[in-house]
Amino acid sequence: MPAVLTVDPRSGVPIYLQVIEQIKRSVAVGVLSSGEQLPTVKQLALDLTINPNTVAKAYRELERDGVIETSPGRGSFVKANGVTETTKAAATDVARDAIEAAVREAKSIGLDADEIRNLANAAIDRWFRE
Amino acid sequence: MSTIELKNLTKTYGKFMAVDDLSLLIPEGCVFGLLGPNGAGKSTTFKCMLGLANSTSGTVLYDGKPLEPSTFERIAYVPEKSVLYDWMSVHDHVEMQRHAFSHFNVARAHELLAQFSIDLKKKARNLSKGMKTATMVALAIAREADMLILDEPTSGLDPINQRHVLNLIINESARGATVIFSSHQIGQVERAAERIAVVEHGRLALEGDVDDLKSGRKIVEGIFPNESFALDGIATDARIARIDRSGRILRLLTNADADGVAHLLEAKGASGIRIVDLNLEDIFLYAVAPAESTADVVEGVPQ
Repeated sequence: MPAVLTVDPRSGVPIYLQVIEQIKRSVAVGVLSSGEQLPTVKQLALDLTINPNTVAKAYRELERDGVIETSPGRGSFVKANGVTETTKAAATDVARDAIEAAVREAKSIGLDADEIRNLANAAIDRWFRE
Repeated sequence: MSTIELKNLTKTYGKFMAVDDLSLLIPEGCVFGLLGPNGAGKSTTFKCMLGLANSTSGTVLYDGKPLEPSTFERIAYVPEKSVLYDWMSVHDHVEMQRHAFSHFNVARAHELLAQFSIDLKKKARNLSKGMKTATMVALAIAREADMLILDEPTSGLDPINQRHVLNLIINESARGATVIFSSHQIGQVERAAERIAVVEHGRLALEGDVDDLKSGRKIVEGIFPNESFALDGIATDARIARIDRSGRILRLLTNADADGVAHLLEAKGASGIRIVDLNLEDIFLYAVAPAESTADVVEGVPQ
């Protein structure tokens, strides 16, 4: 796997969630492709200098979310079957988190639902303009 | 491979309580970080665990059994202060370890010492503080023990060698060893440890899974229209661990369900509600800081 993962242990976001988010993002943008092998738990733990059980926990959740599959003795792989759905689901997860955070922030500084909708629509129009 | 359990461990020096009724369970294969201010009792705890200090009361169990001579074959210990003999070379220490324990991987010791760029011919008295730490860590890792008790195993080391020691700890855990280590560098503990305990004045102030602590502990902050807002329904909420109010601003430390607490604040008429993530350093400071100083701590949280 390309060295695309970094973790910020000083962030308030648990490290295993950072690993999950980055692997999903890598799948979504195609940096990790269908059937590609992930590093072993031990190797990724040593690459990132994080606890092996933290990596194992991230891999378990990614497996449950259908992003990767693990075969005993062979290792973990980006899910080969239905990779388009996996990619789409991973991209949706990443985007949902970003939008949730933006809406929460906008709401907390006093904007109402219509004002936030207008901002979102303006942003969508700008990015999807032909 | 092994579990380590402390049950109501207590150590007094005269009237001074160095360790006060401390109970911890370190599961097999876990990297456990022990945090605490200077003088909190971390080193004394380690010494009591190893029988190097006599505990006043309480027990320490390895795989459910008290420490016995054969247990020492299964524990590698790095003390906070150097126990290397000044007049002996690094090579002599390797030889001494090889004879002292039934299992000691000499090739591994040489490999690790080379990675730390330590000259085997050097006398211990000519090693810097960091090199002494690195030598003791290398000797401990080469034991290939079931359990490692490491008291400040990165002290005096430069950042590259600190990272190397962390990776050695991770490697030990990956092969199934149980590790307990202390460090003042919370960032290191945050990387390597799966569980942590914070001790203060010898007492357990906080214990838990690092990810769970970070997931559950948030600051929820809200601003009320005036200073005379009531705390009913907030003070009794089990999700809220701590309340700080200053003027119109209310800051709540939550144990769980920060979103739910945010909704509660909103229902009470607060606006400008923010949920702030806490890193391990923030969590540590909350665990050991007296209540009146927490307002400053919160202001240090990145916006």
